[in-house]
Amino acid sequence: MTVVNGEQMWRRETPHLLAALIRRYGDFAACEDAVQEALLEASQQWPETGVPEKPRGWLLRVASRRLIDSRRQDIARRERERHVSMLDGRDRVIVPEPIVEYQDATLQVLTLCCHPALTPESQVTLALRAVLGLTTKQIAAVYLIPASTAGQRISRAKATIDAHHRRFPAPTSPRERLSVLLHALYLMYTAGHSRSEGDLLDAEVTTEAIRLARLLHSEFPEESETAGLLALMLLSEARRTARTTASGELVTLKDQDRSLWVDEVIAEGVDLIERALPMGPVGAYQLQAAISAVHSDAAAWEETDWEQIVELYSMLAQVAPSPTVTLNYAVAISEARGPTSALRVLDPLLDDPRMSRGHRLYAVRAPILEACGRHHEALDAYRMASRLCTSIPEQRYLNSQIARLQVGIDPSSVTDL
Amino acid sequence: MKGRPMKYVILIHSNPNPWGHPSGNYVTERQALPQEQRDKMNADFEALLGELRDRGELLGAEALGDPAASRLYRWHAGEPTSSDGPYAESKEHLAGFFMIDVDSPERADEIAARFSGPGETVELRPAMWPGGDSGE
Repeated sequence: MTVVNGEQMWRRETPHLLAALIRRYGDFAACEDAVQEALLEASQQWPETGVPEKPRGWLLRVASRRLIDSRRQDIARRERERHVSMLDGRDRVIVPEPIVEYQDATLQVLTLCCHPALTPESQVTLALRAVLGLTTKQIAAVYLIPASTAGQRISRAKATIDAHHRRFPAPTSPRERLSVLLHALYLMYTAGHSRSEGDLLDAEVTTEAIRLARLLHSEFPEESETAGLLALMLLSEARRTARTTASGELVTLKDQDRSLWVDEVIAEGVDLIERALPMGPVGAYQLQAAISAVHSDAAAWEETDWEQIVELYSMLAQVAPSPTVTLNYAVAISEARGPTSALRVLDPLLDDPRMSRGHRLYAVRAPILEACGRHHEALDAYRMASRLCTSIPEQRYLNSQIARLQVGIDPSSVTDL
Repeated sequence: MKGRPMKYVILIHSNPNPWGHPSGNYVTERQALPQEQRDKMNADFEALLGELRDRGELLGAEALGDPAASRLYRWHAGEPTSSDGPYAESKEHLAGFFMIDVDSPERADEIAARFSGPGETVELRPAMWPGGDSGE
C-alpha cells in the first residue's frame, strides 16, 4: 500500500478522533488542529515503523498530547499576560478507552459542522475537513480554488463555531438540524457531481455524501425527506457514467445512452422514494427524486410519462418555488402539451431579474422556440445563452446548437428579422 | 445557492505615470485629490483586501509591470516573431488583476465597485469553469 493511500485511509478516522477530543475538551478549532497534527505525524512515522496495532488509540493519544501542549503554551502565554490560570484536571492525556466503533461520531461531528451560524457553503467546507478528513489541498481541489483560500475558509468557519460556544454544547440531536444537514449533504453531493472531468476526488466526495445520507436515513428512517434526499442522490448517481462522454462532453438527459444507467442503483432509489412518499410530509427532495424516478422508468426520452412529470413539477412549484423549477416545468409542458404552451410558462421569467444575467432561461427557450418553428429567434436565444454561460462544456453544447441552426437557416432570409 | 465556484477576475485598466503600484496613486485624476481623501481611499482599499482575504474570497492577485516592458509574439510566415510592447495603442493598460470566488453575481458587483477609483476603469469578468449541468 502506498503512503498516500495509507494516509487517505487514516483520514477517515477524523470524525471519530474529533468527536472523542471535543467530548472531553470542547474547543472545536483546537481539537481539529490537534487531529490534523496527529494524522500528519502518522503519515510521517507509519511508513517506517509500520501501522500500530491500535491505530485509532495511537492517533487519539498523539492528538490529545498535541492539544494539551498547545493549551499549555496558551496558558503560559496568558500567564505572561498576567492572567493567572491553572491547568485544570481535564488536562491529562486521554488514556484510550477500549476501541469502540463510535457509530454516531460521524453524525455528531456532521451536526456540529452544520452550525446554524455558518453559511451552507461553510458548513460543507468544514464537513469535508472534519467528517471526510480531506486535507486543505483536497478541499481546494474540490472547489477549484487555491489551498490558501481554502485554508482561510476553514479557519473562518472554525472560528465562527468557537465564537458561538467555546464548549461542545449538550449533544444536540441531528434531528434538530435535520433540514440544514440535508441541505449540506445535497451541496456536498453537487460539489462532487457537477464537474464533467470525473476527477477521482470528486467521485469520492459524492460517494461519501451518499454514505452520510445513508447513515442519516438509517438513524431516522421515519423522516421522509431524508429518504427523499438519499433516493435523489442514488438516482442521479445511477446516471453518472451516462452524463459525460469519454472526452468530458456533457450529455443531456435527452441524449444519454440509457443502457449505461445502473439498474440496481435505480431500483434502490425507486424503492426508497416509493416508501417515502406515503409517509408524508412531501418535501422538495422527495418530489425531485420522484421526477428522477419517472425519468429512470422510461426506456427513451420520447417514452417519458410527461404528464406525471408536469404534475410533479407543479407540486414542486408549490413546495419550493424557484425560477429553476419553472424552467424545468416548461420543458415538461413542452413535451406533454406542445411548445406554444411552454412559451407561455416561460414568458413571466423574461422580466424576472433573477434570470436576466444567467444563461439558463435562454438555453431552455431556444429549443422550445425552435420547436415552434421560430428558428431565427431560437438562434438568437442560443447565442444569448452561449454569451452568458460560464460553464465550458455547456457553452460547447450551446455553440454546437448555434452551428447546427445556422446551417439550417438560409443566410439570405436572416434580413427578415 | 451556488454549490460550485463562481469566479471572476477584476481587471484594473489604468494609466499610471510613471508606471507604478498601487496604480491609482500614479494617476493624475487621483493625485489631484486632497491628501486626506487619498489617504481615506488607500485605507478603504486595504480594508477591502483584508475583508476579501478573511472571507476566503480572494484567490489571487498580481500587479503587472510597465506595458512597455512587454514582449509581443505574433505568428508570421509560419513562425513566431517577437517585437517590443506595449500591446495596446490605448491610453489605459492592464495594470493588474484580482481573482475572486464569491457566492453571487451581486457580491461580485459590490466588490468590483469598491475597486474603482478616479481615472481608472475596472472590468469585472466572469471566469469559465470546467463543470456543467446536464439539465437534470
